[in-house]
Amino acid sequence: MIKKIKVTTLERILLIFVIILAIFTFSSLIILKNKCMFLENYNPDKIKFSKPENIAVLNVPCGNVIIELYPDVSKNAVERFKLLINSKAYDEVAFHRVIKDKLVQAGDLEFGRKNSLDYGKIGTGASGYGTINSELDSNFKFTKGSVGLARTFKNNTEDSQFFIILQDEPLFEGEYTPVGKVLYGLEILKKIKHPDYSEYVLRPDFINTLRMYE
Amino acid sequence: MFLIKITLLLFFLISPLKADAIYNLIKIPNLKIYEIKTKNKLKYFSATKPFRLGVKKNITCSNSNEETLKSKYKIIYKNLNRYSHEFLKKINLKYIVLCEDLSISEINTAGIPDSEMKTLILDIKFNKNYFERSIHHEIFHMINDSFSNIFDEEVWKSLNKKKFKYAECSTCTDKINLSTYNKTEGFFTEYSKSTASEDMAEVFSYLMFDKNIVEEKIINDIILKKKVFFLKENILKIDSKFKFDD
Repeated sequence: MIKKIKVTTLERILLIFVIILAIFTFSSLIILKNKCMFLENYNPDKIKFSKPENIAVLNVPCGNVIIELYPDVSKNAVERFKLLINSKAYDEVAFHRVIKDKLVQAGDLEFGRKNSLDYGKIGTGASGYGTINSELDSNFKFTKGSVGLARTFKNNTEDSQFFIILQDEPLFEGEYTPVGKVLYGLEILKKIKHPDYSEYVLRPDFINTLRMYE
Repeated sequence: MFLIKITLLLFFLISPLKADAIYNLIKIPNLKIYEIKTKNKLKYFSATKPFRLGVKKNITCSNSNEETLKSKYKIIYKNLNRYSHEFLKKINLKYIVLCEDLSISEINTAGIPDSEMKTLILDIKFNKNYFERSIHHEIFHMINDSFSNIFDEEVWKSLNKKKFKYAECSTCTDKINLSTYNKTEGFFTEYSKSTASEDMAEVFSYLMFDKNIVEEKIINDIILKKKVFFLKENILKIDSKFKFDD
């Protein structure tokens, strides 16, 4: 006959502890894997804008980023940006240059597309519309959330690439052409995939869509 | 082709992260912001560590202690503040780098202007007897880089005595003394005799720094008088509102 062993209080406590530990480990695995958790996804339809015609909605893996464009500050740059947005040119284009908590850059329409990504050339591509002149005369303040057109080392080489800064960058003033500012969703951009030892991203995140609100 | 792509990719992924905005703008490492809220929108950086520049890494400069920086910044700011934002824009100058023991190919220099990078590197420990004047000297090089068509060296050379010849370059001569000649004979300093552009920079620096010496010297020196006229006339072509006085 097998003798029944009585479970001690200590063993019960140990069992509960193991179960709690297992639940905690399992749930944190899920939480850690989902980088978008706890982020608010902004619905532009629920927000009132003073100039809705200048609102662009950038949809990225963690949700919507609402951007107000400033045609009064940089007429030609905003015109180019809107042209590319309206032709859906930015859809499925990579965030190829990302510096953690500093900047995200996307918009290489030639070498940054999801279906034809070229790691060797990304960041050097063109839109096909040619370059435009820099617009640097305004006293625009490059505070966090500012959106600007990227350029090569020289001025007047702006095309389709744009960057959004995640921290204030006063040195950008008078150097880069501003096009607008993020109104909502800057924290969503902080979740864009970034590398630790380089500015260029292997297997980058992509823009889902970029549309004008109206 | 595949190998090249892999190499490029590895280069991007392995190369160290140079995320600081200053490096991205002017390609000088080891700098920090010293002052950026200035009247004429010049932005001042200071070295945090020694740095090397140039294709052959032949330009070197070191960091300074805070006390030296503070005292020299005041002098530099006072002098550079005399140039308006509009004028600085025309001559492509936006960034001032403050460091000490600046040298190019191991030859000490007061400053290194770089019009393309909109940057002027200044040695804040340069000989204090000529320190303030040398700031304006370097500014002239920035002016000349942007408007070399206006400051025609052949016209300038023709102002000298016929027998006089400048050296081939500013570093291939031992005429480097910056003290003011008692008897000028067309040149303010010995260094003026090195090259035409250095001569112009010297005249400009006196015009900006010591108007009294200029007025005193040109009374009896017709060559110098012509040089002063040439410079003033051409600077005003760039900016009609330019002021040579304090």
